[in-house]
Amino acid sequence: MNRRTREYLKGRFGDYYRSATVSPPPAANEREWGQIPFTEGDGTTMVRHQSLLDVAGGAGDLDDFLAREAPRHAYFSAARYDDPGNRSMSGKGWRSADLVFDLDADHLPGVDPETAGYGEMLAACKEELLNLLDLLETDFGFREEDLSVVFSGGRGYHVHVRDPAVGELDSAARREVVDYVRAVDLDYDGLVEKRPNERGTLQKTLRAEGGWGRRVHDRLVAYADDLRGMSEEDALAELEELDGVGEKTARTIYGVLERNPDGVRAGNVELGPGAGTLVRALAREVVERDTAPIDEPVTTDLRRLIRLPGSVHGGSGLVVRPLERDAVEAFDPLTDAVPERFRDRQILVDVTDPGPVAVGDDKTKVAEGVQSVREYVGVFLMARGRAEKATE
Amino acid sequence: MDPLSARYPFLSSARDAVRGADVDLTELVAAGDPAVDRGRERVERALVEGTTEPETPDAWDDREELLSYPIARILVSLLDSPAAVEKYAGAEARTAHARFTADAERERREGRARTAGEASASDAVGSADSANATRASPDLDTFLREFDLAGTTRAEEGYGGPVPRWFRLGVGSYLRYVDADWGDGWRLVNRELFDGEVRVEREELYRLLREAVRERVAEGLPFEGVDDAVAADLEAEISDLRDLLADRTARVDVSVVAPEQFPPCLARLLDRARAGEELDAVGRFALLSFLAELGLTAAETTELTGLPADEVAGRFGFLRDESGAQYPAPSCETLGAYGLCENEGNHRAVAPHPLSYYAKRVAETDTVTDWRDRAERTDDGRADA
Repeated sequence: MNRRTREYLKGRFGDYYRSATVSPPPAANEREWGQIPFTEGDGTTMVRHQSLLDVAGGAGDLDDFLAREAPRHAYFSAARYDDPGNRSMSGKGWRSADLVFDLDADHLPGVDPETAGYGEMLAACKEELLNLLDLLETDFGFREEDLSVVFSGGRGYHVHVRDPAVGELDSAARREVVDYVRAVDLDYDGLVEKRPNERGTLQKTLRAEGGWGRRVHDRLVAYADDLRGMSEEDALAELEELDGVGEKTARTIYGVLERNPDGVRAGNVELGPGAGTLVRALAREVVERDTAPIDEPVTTDLRRLIRLPGSVHGGSGLVVRPLERDAVEAFDPLTDAVPERFRDRQILVDVTDPGPVAVGDDKTKVAEGVQSVREYVGVFLMARGRAEKATE
Repeated sequence: MDPLSARYPFLSSARDAVRGADVDLTELVAAGDPAVDRGRERVERALVEGTTEPETPDAWDDREELLSYPIARILVSLLDSPAAVEKYAGAEARTAHARFTADAERERREGRARTAGEASASDAVGSADSANATRASPDLDTFLREFDLAGTTRAEEGYGGPVPRWFRLGVGSYLRYVDADWGDGWRLVNRELFDGEVRVEREELYRLLREAVRERVAEGLPFEGVDDAVAADLEAEISDLRDLLADRTARVDVSVVAPEQFPPCLARLLDRARAGEELDAVGRFALLSFLAELGLTAAETTELTGLPADEVAGRFGFLRDESGAQYPAPSCETLGAYGLCENEGNHRAVAPHPLSYYAKRVAETDTVTDWRDRAERTDDGRADA
């Protein structure tokens, strides 16, 4: 990135901030602030260990600071401190930290970042985000007002949880949360336990009151309903699809499901010799479907800096967009995170790395050399190092 | 004097009771009050037997029980050793746990007897009364309130009776106290979590409360600034307790590593680890702290035990923290309490602590080749890694 490009981006980021209002996080004055300015070189020198007072002055006006400094990247800490501006981490006096989750499109199972397009990766990432939100809301019971969902401006999504019940958890406890969300070390055999039924007989029962057991139970009930909707022949064929289930086992399972549909609903999995295989197969399916591949270190790090919602991501020119919960489903980052400010003009850029450009409504390819493009396309290319600013 | 405060002297109400009792601990110590003897017994039994229960309960009244607690805290502070704090806090917690468990179980039995004696129609009433859902037993209720758990703990609906079998505990509270080292069954991923609550069985709730007590007791220990006169008056007690502590935390200068000289209990733990068997938290701690004290590095320990490298490294980071304080390997007696030492071959007669046993055996053996210098080390290829 040459000087002309740098100054152009800094100027336009400043213009964006002058017209935008960035809501500070709660307890902004107890958080550490950091930014990476537009400087020569690859621009990775972070200015950190700053309090809100340090960055925004006595009036605490964040918008003013952002408009003035127009940083390339802006961050705040998930943690709250006694003295956030203290130079040493231990001197800051840790109080609590938001529980933060990071989903990164680069690390999705089944998505190859080499071949998948940016848009495709972000779409897959949003599916994982919906899984994560379901776990956080249904299992962890976090309330909508304590959850803040944010498009990261780059390759994924962040979720900040601000429920006081989890703010003081240490790193080991947060790892338990991560492992739950990813189903790491899930004991598949432990999903079933022997419980006395109403006659006092011990029977194999899915632990359906919550956790992964509840999710597997829901799947089993749906699966049994599906089987009952089929002809016997089809149902048996379906069962035999499962690894380790032969014709005889399939008949036993089918027979029990037919005879006692309420048993499965109640969690009873006394389904004969194939029961374990069936439960395990469905459990694997549920785990694959419902887990979210969150980035562990982000959640377990009690002192991490997170990108500021409302700021512009210096590596894409897209807005780090906070999302209302009911807007998540319809959100398209490649259009909805484009700053309004960068939509209207055409600008000239000198493209060094031609090819498809993912952002915007008009998905275009750009050719090498000086081109006139929509401003947000130009900003995107320059921010990613694929173009330099050309003289108008 | 409130008997509850005497039973659980770490409760905030007990602290208030001590303040309200208008006693000067300095004078108490100077006068050699019976509470001082009981305080010494608390620490002594904590170090030796892992309990703070009095040897002869009838010998002490509630006042002495209550006041012995701040005395014990002074003694532990004067001992000024992480091992002493750990053992003491662990013992107070274990003792409290035994007491409120017994209390709740008694309540349960009596409640059941009551129900059985009444009209059988009352069976249906028990479970319907979920308003006082957390009412498990008087002591347990006190504990839930004390540790701010009353608001996040409730009995599961459908389980009636005086002491419910299942509870739902807020996930934040659960994670606050649970330790993943307690076993896979405690891992959140294996729990029934729904709508922000974790399902726990009665005994599991007790276990979590025990951890809350341990944290409470350990908080602020050791404290500084014990009055010089008090320290002087307690000199004899401290000297005795130091000896005991030294016994229990034997430091032995053996730099040679010879697994065949390990005491039978540790040798068995090592064999189990090498066979890929899952050790529980105490077993792992015993084995790793023992090997750490022999001066093995984390990498060597990984190689010797076959335990996962990251786990060993993590444990070693904790065993040898920055302050240089080590968590000493437990004695055979402590291991015995966890079913890990059966005094095989009466080896405690040689020495009561794995380290001192090992030092004696090594000293008695003429030629010992350090395991680290042995050729067979490469047999399974791990030494080359």
